[in-house]
Amino acid sequence: MLAPPEEIHAMNIAVIKKILEHGCTPLIITVNQPFKVLTKIYTKAGIDSSKFYVIDTVTQYSGGVCENNPRVKYINNPSNLTDLGIAISEILKQMPDTKKCIMFDSVSMLLIHIPSATASKFFHFVVNKLKLSDVSGIFLCVEKGLDPVILSQMSSFVDKIVDFET
Amino acid sequence: MDQKNKTICQITGISSEIQNSLFKEVFDRIQTGIIIVDPDTHTIVDANPLAEQILGSTKDHLINHVCHEFICPAKKGACPITDQNSAIVNTERVFINKKGEKLAILKTVAKAKINGKEYLIESFVDISDRKTADDRKVALIGFMNESVLRIRRPLELTKMNMQLIADQVKTGEFESEEIRMELQIQANNINQMIKNLDELVRMVAEERGVEIPKKFREFLLGK
Repeated sequence: MLAPPEEIHAMNIAVIKKILEHGCTPLIITVNQPFKVLTKIYTKAGIDSSKFYVIDTVTQYSGGVCENNPRVKYINNPSNLTDLGIAISEILKQMPDTKKCIMFDSVSMLLIHIPSATASKFFHFVVNKLKLSDVSGIFLCVEKGLDPVILSQMSSFVDKIVDFET
Repeated sequence: MDQKNKTICQITGISSEIQNSLFKEVFDRIQTGIIIVDPDTHTIVDANPLAEQILGSTKDHLINHVCHEFICPAKKGACPITDQNSAIVNTERVFINKKGEKLAILKTVAKAKINGKEYLIESFVDISDRKTADDRKVALIGFMNESVLRIRRPLELTKMNMQLIADQVKTGEFESEEIRMELQIQANNINQMIKNLDELVRMVAEERGVEIPKKFREFLLGK
């Protein structure tokens, strides 16, 4: 999903609400906000913190304390794609057998940490993993935040590229 | 001397000997590689000095050898001109010279009758420098694009995040440790963006090589 930079936070909340409305359990992969802050923002927006799972790649990166929570897995750095891939597999197994949907926030922020070509390969790997596990996935991105070549590569393995509208 | 050459000599007032000498000088000094090929046998019957230089072989090695050993990648029996009746006019080709170097050339093949026999005149210019410049231009655009993706867009997001953090401070709902963590993430991200920028500048400097003055290149590479 694409949105202008000023709407990316609104898009995050709107997408989580939609996922929950559809009876799916969301797994949020955050490369932008730490779990504690994310939970507060969601709670303020009326989202029940017991309804979602999180892979937090930034709490350790910021030198923060990783609180023990069965719904959260921490990765030491957003660039650690190996641990991130493992964490996705582990947490998907741990989630209840209802419909699952991962939300990646955001592709644009991940590009700070890894080159766009590596990011494209990683997302291809994640999308294949999701398809095999029958899990949905939504990747948030700043509009025009992707190379047209990479966008066309991604459009070959994702179902749809959607512009976010408030 | 055939009728056409006689006419040229009459018009210009140049004797046939001088005219032959003139064409020989042009053949030897023109900045285009020229080889003359016998279409029946596909052997090279003559080559000018620039052809020798571009192909990396002396005239002795070229003459009486078949053309596909040097200038044409087509196999025996698959000559684009004599077997496939195709035209080669200002066509880009890549061939490997005797030193094993890949060279990009712009090639034209024309048919000509000399003393009643048909020959193929293959002329070519080395366009490797132009191709290298094109490749560098593409690489440079790629680097610029990557720097927008890895610096400009994330900076826009960082600006938005900073605004969000400022708003969070105003509400008084967030603990100081939470605000510290968020600020630290933004600081780390900005630091990473600076590293990305340095890395991209270094890549451009390494890629562009000799075009950048030595001192400035060393400065860019941090030497």
